[in-house]
Amino acid sequence: MGQLIADVARWFADGTRWSGPEGIVQRLLEHLQYSLLSTVVAVLIALPIGLLIGHTGKGAFLAINLASFGRALPTVGVVILVFLVSGLNLWPVYVALVVLAIPVIVTNTYAGMAAVDHDVRDAARGTGLNGWQVLFQVELPLAVPLILNGVRLAVVQVVATATIAAYISFGGFGRYVFDGFAQNDLAQVFGGAVLIAVLAITLDLALSGLQRALTPRGLALQRRRSTR
Amino acid sequence: MKPHLVTAAILTSLALVMTACSGGVTSLDPQSSQTGTASEGALTVGTANFSENVILGHLYAGVLKAKGIDATVKENLGSREIIVPALQGGDIDALPEYQGSLLQYLDKNAKQSAAEEVQAALGPVLPKGLKVLPYAAAENKDVYVVTKETAAKYSLKTLDDLKAHSAELVFGGPAEDKTRFVGLVGLKEVYGAEFKEFKALDAGGPLTRGALEGGDIQVANLFSTDVTIVNNGWVVLEDPKKLVPAQHVVPLINESKASATVVAALAVLNDKLTTDELTKLDAKVDNDKEDPDAVALEWLKEQGLAS
Repeated sequence: MGQLIADVARWFADGTRWSGPEGIVQRLLEHLQYSLLSTVVAVLIALPIGLLIGHTGKGAFLAINLASFGRALPTVGVVILVFLVSGLNLWPVYVALVVLAIPVIVTNTYAGMAAVDHDVRDAARGTGLNGWQVLFQVELPLAVPLILNGVRLAVVQVVATATIAAYISFGGFGRYVFDGFAQNDLAQVFGGAVLIAVLAITLDLALSGLQRALTPRGLALQRRRSTR
Repeated sequence: MKPHLVTAAILTSLALVMTACSGGVTSLDPQSSQTGTASEGALTVGTANFSENVILGHLYAGVLKAKGIDATVKENLGSREIIVPALQGGDIDALPEYQGSLLQYLDKNAKQSAAEEVQAALGPVLPKGLKVLPYAAAENKDVYVVTKETAAKYSLKTLDDLKAHSAELVFGGPAEDKTRFVGLVGLKEVYGAEFKEFKALDAGGPLTRGALEGGDIQVANLFSTDVTIVNNGWVVLEDPKKLVPAQHVVPLINESKASATVVAALAVLNDKLTTDELTKLDAKVDNDKEDPDAVALEWLKEQGLAS
């Protein structure tokens, strides 16, 4: 074990490892590209669905079950399925990652909307706000913490799973994991795994900062009071 | 449905099943779970965890049973790293192996490539108490494959023909091809082929086949008993300089179990077992989803090796 840690340290210490078309910096950019693009697309799809069912209270059963079904799909299966239709390009990776990210964002958005206090909603309507105004000025701000929770969970899953791009010949940190296994080079495998973990944690922390910044002040105050 | 969609559907379901089954559960033949007292004539054949090896295990057991030996099969024992120790420990008595891979496992620096040389090299490096019997005509080795169209366009017949055009061709295969000798390194050193690009795909699986079929790669690393090569009319490039070591199927057996009857029975089987025949057997299990033991027995009957 000590030997392995030393090997991994040496792997990182090699200066040539960081630059060039197969270097860590390039792999980081690729990994970010796959992960962030997939998450953005997933948010664009999942957020409206979650808001709609949360606001209207209709279709929740169907949406949540479809989302659970999406979670049960094995990502490798999705990659191969799309590959057989699309050929060797990045479509299989993006489709698989978007499919992976949608469920958790839908369910968290819905949960955030469902958690909005009925009295608050009634009061908003009572002051004369219409449906859209209630959604965007009252419900959405109050649901933001939970929605961002969903996005954070999705990002961590997607960053970890973007490794799969290497399975169909593309880059990202997964390249180190797959090539390391293939070459029986454990230091490379662990090096790749460490990079993926660090990236996932970094993005999670960044989003948690965003989450704190976007939480409505009233909600934060309320929470601070209740935990006291 | 178009034919390639049907293939797609089959491959996908296969992939899903494979993912579902990858939990590491070893399914043992019900017969073998009764590990009764080993009588004089009893012999247990172990197999690795892929269908061709399971078929071979049942072929071995089948011919031995026909000679009155109480042979059973323990399927799907895992990889070589698990099975060879099991053989040494006496949990199993025989195992269908592949020459080159076995030699590489026992001696990382082995350079032998021709079938007889590999066979001869195996003797001295085998663990004590184990021996290999004469090898079969059937061989499952790495082959480099192009489509009929690519072969015609660049007039490719052997790996030697690659160097003139390799800069225009994309090579696809498992990730290990990038750095190992039987892969890009050897293709460059032995045949002077340097490809435009290498795409790390899978080991003779749906990705490599699909990429070759779709034209995303022009040269694919597949395996010689892959029925899709024949079915698609793909061209296997000849290997005149013997870059790829011989991988004939060879019985690895515990010396104490290698009686004259056993040796003779397996020798008869090995004579009849060609690469084409083994490819057909693989296809029956992998594509038609037949049971390996039934496929093996049916073939042995056809060949007059069992009744």
